Amino acid sequence: MPPKNKGLSSLSERRKRFGWLIPFADLRLTLTLLSLSMVLIFVATLEQVRVGIRGAQAEFFESMYGIWYYPTQFWGGEYFDSIPIPIPGGYLLGGLLILNLLAAFITRFQWTGKKMGIQFIHLGIIMLLVGQLATQAMQEESRMQIDKGESKNYLERFHGVELAFIDVTNPDTEQVVALPQDLLEEGGIHYAKDLPFKVKVLDFGPNCEFNSLPPAQKISGPAKGVNRGVIQTANLEIRPKPEDFSSEGMNFGYVVFELFDGSESLGTWAAISHPAGNHWWAQINPKMGDLAFQPIRTNGRLWGATLRPQREYLPYSIELLGIANEFYQGTDIPFNFESEIVLRMEENQTRRALVYMNTPLRHAGKTFYQYQMNKAADYTVFQVVRNPSWLVPYIACILVSIGLLWQFSFHLLRFLTKSSKAGLASS
Amino acid sequence: MNEEKKSKKLKFLSWVLILCGIYFVFLPNRYTQASLLDFFKSEKDGKKEVINLDAFSRIPVLRGGRVKPMDSVARNTLLVLRNKRTALDENDTKVPAIQWLADVLFAPERADELKTFLIDHDQVLGVIGKKLVQDGKHFSYRELEPFIEEIEASAQEAGKVEREFRNYFEQNIIELYHGLVLYRNLKTTLIPPPHAPSSAVHDHAELEPLFYDSEKDKDRTSEYQRFRQLTADLIKHPEKIVLGNKEALGPLMYFIDYYARYNLYAEFFPLPPETGESGGKWRKIGESLVGTEPLESKEKASIDPTRFIATVQSLVRTEEKELVENIQSIRENLKLDSTALFAAQYAEAIKLRKGIDPIIEDYEQLGIAYRNSDAVTFNTLVEKIRNQIDQRAPSDTGTIAFEKTYNGYEPFYRSSIGYIWILVIACSSWLLAGYRKPGIGTNEASKTLLNSAYILTGLVLLAHTFGLAGRMYIEGRPPVTNLYSSALFISWGAVLLCFLTEKFLRLGIASSMGSLIGFGGLVVAHNLSIDSSLNPSGDTMEMMRAVLDSNFWLATHVVTITIGYSTTFLAGFLGIAYVFSLLVRFLFKRENDGRELNSKLLSMIFGVTCFSLFFSLVGTVLGGIWADQSWGRFWGWDAKENGALLIVIWNAIILHARWAGVAKIRGLSALAIFGNVVTAWSWFGTNMLGVGLHAYGFMDKAFMPLMIFIGAQVAVIGLAYLPALFGLLTRKKDIQVI
Repeated sequence: MPPKNKGLSSLSERRKRFGWLIPFADLRLTLTLLSLSMVLIFVATLEQVRVGIRGAQAEFFESMYGIWYYPTQFWGGEYFDSIPIPIPGGYLLGGLLILNLLAAFITRFQWTGKKMGIQFIHLGIIMLLVGQLATQAMQEESRMQIDKGESKNYLERFHGVELAFIDVTNPDTEQVVALPQDLLEEGGIHYAKDLPFKVKVLDFGPNCEFNSLPPAQKISGPAKGVNRGVIQTANLEIRPKPEDFSSEGMNFGYVVFELFDGSESLGTWAAISHPAGNHWWAQINPKMGDLAFQPIRTNGRLWGATLRPQREYLPYSIELLGIANEFYQGTDIPFNFESEIVLRMEENQTRRALVYMNTPLRHAGKTFYQYQMNKAADYTVFQVVRNPSWLVPYIACILVSIGLLWQFSFHLLRFLTKSSKAGLASS
Repeated sequence: MNEEKKSKKLKFLSWVLILCGIYFVFLPNRYTQASLLDFFKSEKDGKKEVINLDAFSRIPVLRGGRVKPMDSVARNTLLVLRNKRTALDENDTKVPAIQWLADVLFAPERADELKTFLIDHDQVLGVIGKKLVQDGKHFSYRELEPFIEEIEASAQEAGKVEREFRNYFEQNIIELYHGLVLYRNLKTTLIPPPHAPSSAVHDHAELEPLFYDSEKDKDRTSEYQRFRQLTADLIKHPEKIVLGNKEALGPLMYFIDYYARYNLYAEFFPLPPETGESGGKWRKIGESLVGTEPLESKEKASIDPTRFIATVQSLVRTEEKELVENIQSIRENLKLDSTALFAAQYAEAIKLRKGIDPIIEDYEQLGIAYRNSDAVTFNTLVEKIRNQIDQRAPSDTGTIAFEKTYNGYEPFYRSSIGYIWILVIACSSWLLAGYRKPGIGTNEASKTLLNSAYILTGLVLLAHTFGLAGRMYIEGRPPVTNLYSSALFISWGAVLLCFLTEKFLRLGIASSMGSLIGFGGLVVAHNLSIDSSLNPSGDTMEMMRAVLDSNFWLATHVVTITIGYSTTFLAGFLGIAYVFSLLVRFLFKRENDGRELNSKLLSMIFGVTCFSLFFSLVGTVLGGIWADQSWGRFWGWDAKENGALLIVIWNAIILHARWAGVAKIRGLSALAIFGNVVTAWSWFGTNMLGVGLHAYGFMDKAFMPLMIFIGAQVAVIGLAYLPALFGLLTRKKDIQVI
């Protein structure tokens, strides 16, 4: 039979045609990559202690390579801790593993029913890898905090702030213009057609320390040139700090900005965002309460400026009817966190729902998970996730399961026929 | 003729071995209090003239969120205090847990003399001025009493250090302090703490006649009655509830505060839900008298006295049904209003908490009977209390009798002895097999031992299974609910797999390695149960946190992932078996004998690793799905998730290394042994980091044992290459000689 007719289902034909892929399909490459993944995962897990899960994720898993320093606390740490050790990152290893698997698919796997199990398993693993890459690229996590009896129609990002200008001249129609963190990081002058002034971002940082100095004392640092607003009246000094990536990390973002009407400066302001919500400022220090809303009067209109967690407005709202936080009697082990809510959707439809552990609310591509709760202050916090690729791991799992079952049944069948033959032979 | 005699002898030997095993594992013996037979017997009727502590130990109470027999309370608290389930008296004779508890509850003076506390850290001993060599490590409360303030101060100092960074002294002093608090709370569970009215606030002369007087009163219920008279008077005359009416309100407020505080000092809930009450809430004695404080006591400083008194009065004036609703509404809508909240509690104490729970009186009388050694009264009262609880909380008491017998049976302790027995037998079989004298068929003897080991594995496995099943029955949960039970389950899974392997390959390798893992796992479990940072209440059947409270995921994800752990360990231990067989052959210069054994071991390790990959992969993926369901992401790079992934990858590496021909038997064994390290890291190491969502199982003491285990594995891997290295060196010498 001429080899042409065999087509791609023949391994030898594929090996001929994709000969250049053969080195990439090497099992030894697989072994190397898997071993390096182990190093990566181990190191990144250790680093979580230092920089938190999110920090380790950014440094190692979502990068081509990461630099690791041997921890000082470990044995011999004082000698080794200054040597930078490069660790291959998640994108590099993930990408190479996908290549390795695909190459193996083409130049090493036999596309026959007998080997179908192996193919399914590896196809599932490719999907898991691709799905994880897609998730890291597309997933968005935010939070939604609702007080009992209140209704909310926006989410707040866990990370990332926005400088919002709110026109409250007419209480019925609030107008909001917000500069997202990307623009603040960029700096420079920003215009918006609804804003009566230009905004020049002088300084921005994701985290800072601050303290109120006595009125006579001159402040230094980023807030030095501020001549309007709360920072000036409270004589607040701002000292920039690196962002804290740990899960308990509290990041107080700050921004210093100057407003211009045409070319005339209206003054320089600064704003700080409170990670738990700007309503907390008044509790920390009454003088700083206005950080939630620093009034700016211009052209007969009243605007307010505030730096707050970046918001996403929804076309629907959620009202909190009540919460339950129950503990096993005589212990501090909770057995239930539960929020009773009403979802008010588009076109005046409503739906009641209970959100509790292991049972989130899913609506319009977003999923609301019970995240935190405060019984005394009667509020609940949902973690809200939008993950368009959430289905991929499920499909991958099904593929792997089919593959494993196929493979096992094949072995079992062979074993059974063998033993029945043996049985026949012995009888 | 001779042959027949010998085979009879061997048969006899195997029966003796097996019967010994059955004795250790199932039958009554002097090391445990109950045997398998006790599960089928109904409760023994004790003699009337002897205090029946067995019946007493079956009284149900609520502690740690779960209704359990008094027996469990006794054993669990002693486990925390002394790392044992018994106490010692002055002569270092063992005192059974339940007798110790009865002393603590009813005759604290006597209990204070018993050696209840274990202190084995030299510097902590220094705090109380003792030396390990001279004074031992067991101390009574009486010996510690003079140093309580110092211990408390040191513990508070140590508490300022973050948990991850505490040194051994700090850990130990905190533990000792917690132990002392636990002990004191036990003492004040049924007997209230002494009255201590502050002279600045209270009129002592007015209060004194109301207090319990052991000479005049029959028991403390007389005092409780007098308190009820005070409240009854106010219900009749609510107009007396006005600011400044010290005569009517002074004693009342003192008692309400005193009884409410008594709640804080009681360790468990002795009173079952009241008849006709829905919700099934158990109560402490103080709670039964006056309810609980709505906020911390210090919040009382911020209440507004005028509004407080006015609210109490208006609440007490309302009809009972309405009052219940009003109190409910205050608790729901005025959560930050301490004045209203405390007023609601007072109104409840005055008008809603009526009479005195009859069980309180029974416990009072029980204490008196116990102190007077009045066995007849004691036994009748125990009977009476149990009957009342059965009536009032029928749904809570279903597993009490079983749990009591289960405690005494100690299935895991018995199994661990059984495993040692198997290990000894399996190892002896190898010795016999190696000892070949011509003419004497010692192989027969060796075979007999192997078969006995196999049968014994099955028997001990039954006991181990029964232990797991008993926990599942008591808890109503799948087998793995916490680190402790994961150790039980991992060893069980490995032994089960070994039992099946041994069925087909009667080499003794699976038996011995299985019993080694079985024993090791049970030892680990025991150490986890006495780690007070992990198990502060001493109860290994603690309640599940909300996020884990899903029997479906516990039964699927947790069980598969744990089977993954146990198969990976098994592959590793088979690797170790290979290394030792290699070394033995090397030492006795029989390198070429082992071909058949090698190929069998190879296929065993390979097969078990296939299982490991399957279970760890499926388990990890199921975990991802659970995480997607409850946290919104399939994979979050959480420490424990990463640990599981490491096991999956490592198993994949082992299998691919075999397929690629990179690893032969020795390489495969070395890889499998390193699998032990990976699994140990994933199982315990990740918990020590104290980060991530799975950090609820945090522990601080296991670091050293973990390092030793890892070191040992690495050493064994090194040993695997020793003969090859040796060969290399000697060959080189040969070349030089030539």
